[in-house]
Amino acid sequence: MIRKSSLALALALLGSTAAQAQTETAASNTASRAFQVTGNVPVICAGGALSGGDSTFALGVLVNTTTGLLRTDLSAPDKVLTGAFCSALSTISVAATRMTAQNVTTAAPAGFSNSVDFTATASGWTTTPASVNTAASTNPAATQSRTTPFSGNITVGLSNFATTGGTTLRPVADTSYLGSVTVTLTAAN
Amino acid sequence: MSRPALSHMRKDRRTAAVRALACVAALGALASGGVAAADSAAATRTMAVSGSTPEICALQPGAVQTGSLVNMTGLDGDTLRVAQFADPRTLAVRAADATLSISAVCNFPHKVRVQSENNGMWPGDGSQKLDANGFTSAVPYRARVTWNGASNTLETDARVRHQVEDELSVNSPAVGNVELHVEIAPGASNSQANAPLLAGTYTDTLRIFLEPL
Repeated sequence: MIRKSSLALALALLGSTAAQAQTETAASNTASRAFQVTGNVPVICAGGALSGGDSTFALGVLVNTTTGLLRTDLSAPDKVLTGAFCSALSTISVAATRMTAQNVTTAAPAGFSNSVDFTATASGWTTTPASVNTAASTNPAATQSRTTPFSGNITVGLSNFATTGGTTLRPVADTSYLGSVTVTLTAAN
Repeated sequence: MSRPALSHMRKDRRTAAVRALACVAALGALASGGVAAADSAAATRTMAVSGSTPEICALQPGAVQTGSLVNMTGLDGDTLRVAQFADPRTLAVRAADATLSISAVCNFPHKVRVQSENNGMWPGDGSQKLDANGFTSAVPYRARVTWNGASNTLETDARVRHQVEDELSVNSPAVGNVELHVEIAPGASNSQANAPLLAGTYTDTLRIFLEPL
């Protein structure tokens, strides 16, 4: 839309110049020059500001301390990226890495696991939220497209926590399990 | 406003216009530059996901393994009862066996400690104070613990009444069943084999611990 508007303006100015040239021929006591005024808006995407100033989904203790199994009530407050925008049509992608024990480096023995999977969802940008599950080999929903420029908030949430390898496995003891979620806005060319 | 002043203002406006054009040209050049356009056309935010798993060991209530009872009546709560402790003819201790299965988990390297409170089964009514030669005043037994593919046996001798224990190290997390096999040998005695038992109720408390190394 913006590019079309700029082109129309340039053509109008050019047309005016041609007409003026004819006028100059007829009346030589008037001189004029036409200058094109052009500008462009670069394609820009901005990720916005993260709500709360904290960029960590802190889940706390991951396991039921009686059974050692992963808690079934794991949750963390959503993160909101406020003021995100893209000045052109765009895609939103969400990528994530599973939570992995940072201090235990040996392979988990039978009955245990060193990592925890989850689903990360980024909603608000597209009709269908972008989502990724760290346990899945493919994540076709991880990238969603938007056909118009947009400015708004993106809500990032986590769900579907599961011990990697199966729900009957227990996470090994470790003071630090770490994973990540990355949200990317990309303007289409 | 005097003319010189006006002239000065006009000159300033031209300078400003020229500067503005220069800025437009510069913006255009920047926008057409591949690196700048690529940088601004994508925005990324990365968030960490964190948690922790504390060290946990858990033992569930035990259960008798099917078919494992020999001269034992089974578990009564946490009490394992011998059906017929003494041979009615000789008063010698009769053999008894039982295997308990205890669901357990430790999510870190740990050890299993087995502890006999009295180093054998002793009468609880004070009859152990009777120093009767030729009689059994306390009964030794053994407790074998099997866990995570390894086993260890605590042998009590019932000679001195005191706490004894043994332990088994496990250098990895483990989950499954702790098997506790309690065995009283026929004729077991703290004096001599097959010595008759003094009258009384013989007991011991056997404890199992899963704990850090």
